[in-house]
Amino acid sequence: MKFRNRKPKEVEADLVLNDGVQLSRKEKFLRAFKEQSGWLFVAPAVILMLIFTAYPIVSAFINAFKQDLRMTSLGVTGQPMYNGWGFDNFVRVLKGDTGTGGANFLQCLINTLVFTFVSVPLSTLLALLISVALNSIKAVQKAYQTILFLPYLTNSLAMGAVFATFFKIVGTQSSPDTVGIVNLVLGWFGISPIDWMGLQSPAWQLGSLSIPWAKYIVVIVYEIWSGLPFKILILFSALQSVNKQYYDAARIDGASRNTILWKITAPMISPQISYLLVTGIMGGMKQYSAIIGLFDDTMGHDYDVGTIVGYIYQYLDSSYTGYAFAASLILFAIIMVITAINLRVSNKRVSY
Amino acid sequence: MRISIQHLTKIFPSRTKGGKEVHAVEDMCIEIPSGKLVGLLGPSGCGKSTTLFMLSGLENPTSGKILFDDQDVTTLAAEKRGIGLVFQNYALYPHMTVQQNIRFPLDNMRIKKEEGNARALDAARLVQIEDLMSRKPNELSGGQQQRVAIARALVKMPNVLLLDEPLSNLDARLRLQTREEIKRIQRETGITTVFVTHDQEEAMSICDIMVVMKLGVVQQIGEPQSIYDDPNNLFVANFLGTPPINIFKGRIEGGKVYVGQEAIGETSYDDREVYVGIRPEGFVYDAHGAFTLGVDHIEVMGRDKSVVALHESSTKPTVRCIIDSDVVLPHEATQLRFNIKPYKLFLFDAETEERLK
Repeated sequence: MKFRNRKPKEVEADLVLNDGVQLSRKEKFLRAFKEQSGWLFVAPAVILMLIFTAYPIVSAFINAFKQDLRMTSLGVTGQPMYNGWGFDNFVRVLKGDTGTGGANFLQCLINTLVFTFVSVPLSTLLALLISVALNSIKAVQKAYQTILFLPYLTNSLAMGAVFATFFKIVGTQSSPDTVGIVNLVLGWFGISPIDWMGLQSPAWQLGSLSIPWAKYIVVIVYEIWSGLPFKILILFSALQSVNKQYYDAARIDGASRNTILWKITAPMISPQISYLLVTGIMGGMKQYSAIIGLFDDTMGHDYDVGTIVGYIYQYLDSSYTGYAFAASLILFAIIMVITAINLRVSNKRVSY
Repeated sequence: MRISIQHLTKIFPSRTKGGKEVHAVEDMCIEIPSGKLVGLLGPSGCGKSTTLFMLSGLENPTSGKILFDDQDVTTLAAEKRGIGLVFQNYALYPHMTVQQNIRFPLDNMRIKKEEGNARALDAARLVQIEDLMSRKPNELSGGQQQRVAIARALVKMPNVLLLDEPLSNLDARLRLQTREEIKRIQRETGITTVFVTHDQEEAMSICDIMVVMKLGVVQQIGEPQSIYDDPNNLFVANFLGTPPINIFKGRIEGGKVYVGQEAIGETSYDDREVYVGIRPEGFVYDAHGAFTLGVDHIEVMGRDKSVVALHESSTKPTVRCIIDSDVVLPHEATQLRFNIKPYKLFLFDAETEERLK
């Protein structure tokens, strides 16, 4: 790598020197050092990235293809033992034939897709509406802004625990005859308490898979709520930077409030909306901590609301590490495909 | 459509507690006949844009009335007034094509697609941008954007067209061209048009009626030439004309107008201190003239030449006299004498700055 942005003066000097004059070894070295010195400046970042990004990726790639990889049993060389190379890990993960019980990959994949593709669009839409409302009030705007941003500062495990309490069918241990706040409110409308999160949680059966819709609702409500603050922050600041004159022009042109929102406001902040959707979907596909917060580390009843990352952690913990590597590569591929589609769509729809 | 502005006042409350409120427009009364091109002229901050926005309905007046024909529209919402407004920086929707921009007002009126497209095309033809219909605004030059903005304002066939500083974002050459264009479009459509400008040349060149404003108060209303020839006060005289009028401190003594020790004109007014305004074209070179000026230098413009002169009573650093290029001036003169055309000489009371007519 040669750095080309040297000052013209130096370049000129180089030309003169190259023109016949013999360079000493020391001079040659100094010059070579000067030319390559750019590396020194990028070195800290490059080294950190090699250790914490590049090495794990390469390692995951390699280990995913080691069959019967047991991190817990070391061979004579002190390295984990494995049984040759192949696609065995991938086949077993996708077939759900891991021979260890626990989470099922297909179940986790469906869960993850449902959580992501329901909660991200809904919370973005809700954030847009809230930001527009927030933008059109003048009094106590700052106070609302602060309140709406508070959840962002809260730990997701703690929030999960609080949500779990909201949805509980029995109140607290000291007063087991009460119900959680959600069931309490439903009770006012004559709906009998639903076991949102427990063993009796209602679910549909889909072949060997189950669709625990009540738990889905809990997760989705939680994700919408926890995703709102950041989205509102981004969209609200985007709205503030839209020139007010467009709204005046739209009023003169007789546009209704609805038309202004969907034909003027939304396209004006479409880069930010697209950013939120793309990063939101990426984050959603990697969801993990919320499920643990809500359902503990069994991820519901026998992992029935497990996510892909949850699946990966579970196998990372056990002695069957190869499955975790394989699953993480599959997740990587899925996120890449979805993001590519996202970007392609947004290139067409977003106007910068 | 006839516009009648009656005692229109706009007061902006002060931002800080106990601060001064701003009287942007005060007690404005104008009658605008149908089909005229009217220019609101004044330095920045004189309330001309505020007036325009009150006409459009984007600002509500503090008091007073606005009538379109005989209908009181003072409290009518902007979208119901049937006006077209062209913003200073055009406010074209960046995510829509030219065609979508022009069609936008029609879409809001729920006009059928074919009819909407046809009308959008008609409007585009009027401003000569029919080839640019599929472009986005950021792919257009300033002048083209301006035309799109005018087409968007015209497409709904407004009763009144309002333009806010329509030429201020264009370069000098385009400005000349566009102001002719605005005049042509206004003539072709016959729409009553009000536009705002701080450029007196622009206003003089295309207006049927000119309204000169200062600090929210109308100074004078009339045809451009008549305001130029017959200004009401020192401000109006000073504001109109390039190069600007020359102003001297002078006095009236026994029916004669004195600047310094020289009597340069006559008047029927009583003795008093006055400002004497002389248009640059009001000087006639005469070796025995009444008014002596020290010569700084002479600029030759081809069609005419201007003598840049000095006088101790002048309120401006230099005095500018425009004379025909075929008048022969003495070579390297340090002083020149002039006679003053009486109708180019205006007297203003030194205290009130009102014209002594």
